[in-house]
Amino acid sequence: MGRYSDDPAWADIIPLPTDEGGPNPLAAIAYDDEYAEAMSYLRAVMAANEFSPRILDLTEDLIDMNPAHYTVWLYRAQCLFALKSDLHAELAWLNATALEHQKNYQIWHHRMLVVDVLDSCEGEREFVSRMFELDAKNYHVWSYRQWLVRRFGLWEQGELEFTRDLIEKDVRNNSAWNHRWYVVNGREEREEGEAGGVVGDAAVREREMEFAMQAIEKAPQNQSSWGYLRGIVRKAGLPLQGCKAFVQRFASLEQPDEVRSSYALDFMAEILAEEKGSEQQAALALDMLAQKYDPVRRNYWEYRKGLLGVDAVAA
Amino acid sequence: MSLVAGPGRGGALDGQLPDELQLVAEKHVAYIQKLDTRRDELEYHLTEHLRLSGIYWGLTALHLLHRADALPRDGVLDFVLSCLHENGGFGAAPGHDPHMLYTISGVQILAMVDGFDELEKRVTDGKRKIADFVASLQQVNGTFAGDEWGETDTRFLYGALNVLSLLGYLPHQRPNEEPALIDVKAAIAHIKACQNFDGGFGVAPGAESHSGQIFTCLAALSIAGELDSYLGEEGKDRLGAWLSERQLDDSGGLNGRPMKLVDVCYSWWVGSSLAMIERLHWIDKKKLATFILQCQDPVEGGVADRPGDMVDVFHTHFAIAGLSLLGYPGVGEVDAT
Repeated sequence: MGRYSDDPAWADIIPLPTDEGGPNPLAAIAYDDEYAEAMSYLRAVMAANEFSPRILDLTEDLIDMNPAHYTVWLYRAQCLFALKSDLHAELAWLNATALEHQKNYQIWHHRMLVVDVLDSCEGEREFVSRMFELDAKNYHVWSYRQWLVRRFGLWEQGELEFTRDLIEKDVRNNSAWNHRWYVVNGREEREEGEAGGVVGDAAVREREMEFAMQAIEKAPQNQSSWGYLRGIVRKAGLPLQGCKAFVQRFASLEQPDEVRSSYALDFMAEILAEEKGSEQQAALALDMLAQKYDPVRRNYWEYRKGLLGVDAVAA
Repeated sequence: MSLVAGPGRGGALDGQLPDELQLVAEKHVAYIQKLDTRRDELEYHLTEHLRLSGIYWGLTALHLLHRADALPRDGVLDFVLSCLHENGGFGAAPGHDPHMLYTISGVQILAMVDGFDELEKRVTDGKRKIADFVASLQQVNGTFAGDEWGETDTRFLYGALNVLSLLGYLPHQRPNEEPALIDVKAAIAHIKACQNFDGGFGVAPGAESHSGQIFTCLAALSIAGELDSYLGEEGKDRLGAWLSERQLDDSGGLNGRPMKLVDVCYSWWVGSSLAMIERLHWIDKKKLATFILQCQDPVEGGVADRPGDMVDVFHTHFAIAGLSLLGYPGVGEVDAT
């Protein structure tokens, strides 16, 4: 008795139960449910290498029950392409499945295969944005978004504004910051000789530094915005000094109890380390980090202090 | 090996853990042994697509707890070899398609139980076949796919180098073989392209830095002998700063990316990465060990991602491996790559 064994459309199939465990399984297999039945039909049709519309039904059923079974996805993709199925219908079904199984990643590779064959990304970014409403840091969805940008050349078609909106919503969304970096610099790194990005285009560099600084004003204790700013300074080879006045506003050594950001203090230590004659000051900043603002990483700050080449400074 | 979660929760007894936390090693051994008897639970079957990796996690944990004997070697060998396909790839379980991830687990298990002779006995040219399968998945840009369907991920690249190294089929292990089985130079160039502005590495060029992917990239560089020459002291400092920032002061646990929840598995991904670049001491080891121990179910064994959640074999393995990195007493030493 079961969904498939009772269905005349499957009457020609002799289901193949699992053979796991060999002749002497450590424990008797004592389960009997829909999933087991569907799997036994899948084994049978895979053994016969069958590609037919009912395979799409069967794999859909299995994926609904267990979306992480990679073999089922591959068999479904093979079948879709072999039957030249309606790929738009496939996407509509994938949308519902992705929303229901957000942690699953097989689904995104499957989607890539389908969209690649379709050769159109219409509606794709809209759907991805819906996924981000549920989890704006979903790693697989971000990977898919970057693939879309690359595959369909969407560099200058609203991606920058998209990251701006996400960062406005959550200024600490590191995934959105990373995507912004990718959109601004990724293309330049891919097409050799073309100027652009924060290195090759001064206007872009200014704009991005300004963007990071505004985000820092909004929330000073934020690894992502500081990391973005420091990333630009490093990549463009700018002197650290240029940032000193800005950094000072969040971490002044004159007011050691009013540091508003440990990232600012860290940056300040780096700026001072580069300045001639300010090593003692740099050591003081690192002491503040080790003792008060980030004590869990005391050993790291001590190491940084060691690089200064000065004697230990008493705090 | 079952990947069924629970039955216990980390930090059971309503969070009433004793002040002096202990590793309940014997309970973890019993927990792992018992997993294979839980075949009447639906979740056992829903996790079949991970089975071979599950065995690897369980077995490694047992090895680190000096209880390799707790699972029967013959049974393990039979199962592993029943997952091997004619083309040299392993599936997660019999009847599952061959995939890089399970090929890694299969070869790691064979190496751990000293089973390569048995492989050759049962499969003619078994090692060579596996090496050929792995090599066939290298792409023109140097990276590796997981299977014939072409999904790429730095996990697969690391896996390929790890498998070939365990089998003794890396080009430098066979200097007289022409042509070399894989293009190591192209693979390493791809790893370098995955490095980000913050010093970390992602799953593909441009993808966000992620502690798990950093582990795979560093381990790949390390196996290829290029870790020191590529990163240098400055690169290690930058990456070490990012990695050590994964430790949260309140819990002592580690997260995988900025502003994400801590999870016991990052004790391994972050910890081993820091160990590979000789900067493990940059985090507070005592706090991390305490966090890991708080994720144990002290009554029935097993470790969860966080205190209060269900235990499972994946997190049990990474917790014990993390303690091993920290030099916790009674846990065997582990190679970070």
